[in-house]
Amino acid sequence: MAILNLSPLTIKTLKRFRSVKRGYWSAIIIISLILLSLVAEVFVNSRALIVSYEGEWHFPTYGAIIPGEEFGLGYQYETNYRDLKQKFKEEGSDDWVLLPPVPYNAFETDLEAGNYPPAAPSFTKQHYLGTDTVGRDVVARLVYGFRIAIFFSLFLLICNYVVGTAIGCLMGYWGGIFDLLFQRLIEIWSNIPFLYVIMIIASIIVPNFWSLVIVMLMFSWMGMTWYMRTATYKEKEREYVMASRALGAGTARIIFHHIIPNTVSIIITFIPFSVAGGITALTSLDFLGFGLPPPTPSWGELLRQGIDNLQSPWIVSSIVTSMILVLTMVTFIGEAIREAYDPKKHTIYE
Amino acid sequence: MIPRNILSMNKLIKYITLTSILVLITGCSSQEGNEGSVTVEEATQQSTPVVDNLPEYPVSELPEGLVWLTNDEDPVFADPNAKQGGTFREYLPSFPLTLRTAGPDANTGLYSHLLANQLSLIDIHPNTGNYLPSLATHWAYGEDSKTVYFKLNPDARWSDGNSITADDYMFTMDFNRSEFIVAPFRNNYYTNEITSVKKYDEYTISVTGGTAKPKDDLLLYYAIGPTPRHFHKLDENWVTDYTWLIEPNSGPYQVTTIEKGKYVEFTRDWNWWGGEQKYNKHRFNIDKIRITIVRDPETAYRHFLRGELDTAILTFPNYWHEKTNDDVFQNGYVHKIWFYNDYPQPKTGIFLNMDHELFKDRNVRYGFAHSINIQKMIDTVLRGDYERAHSYHIGYGEYSNLDVRAREFNIDKADEYFKLAGWGERGPDGIRVKDGRKLSVVLTYSTQLHTDRLVVLREEAKKTGVDLQLNLLDSSAAYKNMIEKKHQAAWLGWGPSLRPEYWQHFHSDNAHKPQTNNITNTDDSEMDLLITKYNDTSDANERALLSREIQAKIDEIGAFVPSYYVPYVREGFWRWLKLPEWHGTKLSTLVFDSMGLGLFWIDEEEKERTLEAMKNNESYEPVTIIDDKYKVEL
Repeated sequence: MAILNLSPLTIKTLKRFRSVKRGYWSAIIIISLILLSLVAEVFVNSRALIVSYEGEWHFPTYGAIIPGEEFGLGYQYETNYRDLKQKFKEEGSDDWVLLPPVPYNAFETDLEAGNYPPAAPSFTKQHYLGTDTVGRDVVARLVYGFRIAIFFSLFLLICNYVVGTAIGCLMGYWGGIFDLLFQRLIEIWSNIPFLYVIMIIASIIVPNFWSLVIVMLMFSWMGMTWYMRTATYKEKEREYVMASRALGAGTARIIFHHIIPNTVSIIITFIPFSVAGGITALTSLDFLGFGLPPPTPSWGELLRQGIDNLQSPWIVSSIVTSMILVLTMVTFIGEAIREAYDPKKHTIYE
Repeated sequence: MIPRNILSMNKLIKYITLTSILVLITGCSSQEGNEGSVTVEEATQQSTPVVDNLPEYPVSELPEGLVWLTNDEDPVFADPNAKQGGTFREYLPSFPLTLRTAGPDANTGLYSHLLANQLSLIDIHPNTGNYLPSLATHWAYGEDSKTVYFKLNPDARWSDGNSITADDYMFTMDFNRSEFIVAPFRNNYYTNEITSVKKYDEYTISVTGGTAKPKDDLLLYYAIGPTPRHFHKLDENWVTDYTWLIEPNSGPYQVTTIEKGKYVEFTRDWNWWGGEQKYNKHRFNIDKIRITIVRDPETAYRHFLRGELDTAILTFPNYWHEKTNDDVFQNGYVHKIWFYNDYPQPKTGIFLNMDHELFKDRNVRYGFAHSINIQKMIDTVLRGDYERAHSYHIGYGEYSNLDVRAREFNIDKADEYFKLAGWGERGPDGIRVKDGRKLSVVLTYSTQLHTDRLVVLREEAKKTGVDLQLNLLDSSAAYKNMIEKKHQAAWLGWGPSLRPEYWQHFHSDNAHKPQTNNITNTDDSEMDLLITKYNDTSDANERALLSREIQAKIDEIGAFVPSYYVPYVREGFWRWLKLPEWHGTKLSTLVFDSMGLGLFWIDEEEKERTLEAMKNNESYEPVTIIDDKYKVEL
């Protein structure tokens, strides 16, 4: 297939994509952010990276918690590594702790009596963007919230496209009664008010990551079907499809080996916009309180907090800036892809 | 939600009994106001029913030897300097679904406003707690500990001019027992709790209840209100026909205009019969009260800062401390008041479901209670403003047990109890495990406003090895979940009652079955015995003693973890609103309560001066009043 073998056509497309500078750089940044977010625990975490205690090295980042007893702190719950570091420093011992650049996780509340959240950004306390209304670090909430939002939207996209493309192609390829039935079904289905359904579901069960993906999938697979149906209708009349049919290829082979590769530009062009859509959808659901349950780190929840607490501008400015940056970069990527696949530049119709 | 006022007994009784109130569950029902406006006045004129055959009620013989009591010795609590006039502007989060006070959807929106204007036989003095005459001038106790006799005030009039007579009380029974009003709770209450009303002449009646009660409580429970019998035509259309009709009432204000979806206006009844009564003088000083619909409290607060609403409730710590840094406060245009009251508090905390496998073991319940760090929650996110609750009933005087202390957050004690229950081991994530199961507790709650508070509890509980999972449900779903006993742990508060009521919450009669209020599924024979005694005794001292014993028992069972209570109200108000020197009363749940106690007034000249000063950018000294004369030290 073209994509894997990197046909000259693909190379040309890639080149054209690279030539759109802002899209290209946005893609690099977003992809690095996604990859980095996979190991966010190393950068933003309350657990230390390395603890050297009595000559032994510990790596607490991943795996089971290390209770405070282990380091002579006299409690059974997880070690507070910031306190431990402080303790070693005060004792002047040879033991040391290496903390991540942001030494907080997304759940812990950094609270002291008399010092009420939200706290303004502070370099000494290493709350670089301040804390939210419960005293959780805004950077940590942003980073882990981003990880959830982006993977949510990627999973949703994959599910949507698999279902949407399959049904769309079949509608176009088979046509007739099947096409007619599904057209009506989709028309009816799209008229169900999605937000109300989500609200009803969220009031009965507590949604989690996967149930939310499934519910969203139920209401967003339709978008792709129309495009794929039209594209398939068009493609199936062309000679190469007729040729393969004459050679005895079955429906599955024709769709997967001939039609989809030839309509892939449609799919790919839509991807960035679907990613942006997915992030926005999750954020708005969380904003309204119908998304992932608390205390899951979430952009929507942070936005809600920010808007309810305009007198603490660091919350709202952090989250709004992050959203604008991510969504703009995704849109730039989308533009570049569209440019790269622009049919005017590489397809000749007879 | 805390009742707007306590003065009207009838209102209170209805308030407390008709609404199985979940204090923390204050989700506003979504109500849609229709487009366009209907003036109720017009609607009423067109369709006021004409009741032809007024019911005739038999006259009974008054027993001999009744000792008639009254009270005009207690001090007045209104300020003689109060000026009359002006328009007071407040808001409601959604448009009321009806103007009825009975039947479907009645317990929403305007309910408390409407009930404040329907007086009862007697009142309670908001400072001394003694009974005061209202629609009745005198009262007398029967010998059976179940009956109270009342002499009605012959001057009392409905707002349409008709006098209020014994027949209107007789009709109250017919009305509330009628199936046409579609109010099962009322049907039941006026059948089993209040068993009969008798008429002796036009202005003398008696009310009899189902169970014997201490003298003190008899009036509390049996001071019912009249129902205008010339207005209600009870038939199957009653619910729909009366939805937007204005019922004649006995109080100072009446609904005059409604603009559907936008606002409701109450206007002073200039011919009100009660204005010259000793304890009503200088109260209800406002001429017109306009209640605008503002759907979001944050938006309402913005309206307030712009001077479009006269007061704002600032009880939440973030409002009191942060949102009052606005210019209107700094420039002294808006004042702040922090007023402590002494009032039965809602019962708030965590209710553990003992039918759940985990909480069958008392040690787990105790260990759990020691894992809940309420104090940290109060000290941090609540800014130390709320008070830690220690027992089930707070603010009930002799009925409250002040010796009960809540189990404090204590890692060692929690560890001890969990070990006794076999939960000694901790898993790789620090959470306790037993037979491969994690010590996870699902805590159901119903308002996003409390998420911040519960997040603190969750993080602290990890330290004792408890995984507290927060389960936020929509308020009605949460209520259903709890009332059907499907919860594991419930974070909620029950509204306050006149006297502690234990049977519905702790008697085994109500355990292990859905749709009852015993959400801890308390099933304890000693408790049953205590509650039965408590309900049967007619001796006030014994009753209070039993109440204290029951509270100790609740603590011993340990299925209730008390959280906090808020023994005050905080409000912001534009400086043209004036208060008596004493600001409020012991029972003031709102300082600026136009219809309940109605102690404040509007100074129109001050208003003009203030508006002028704002135009000229002149400022006044900022004012913050803290009044803690009714603060109770525990």
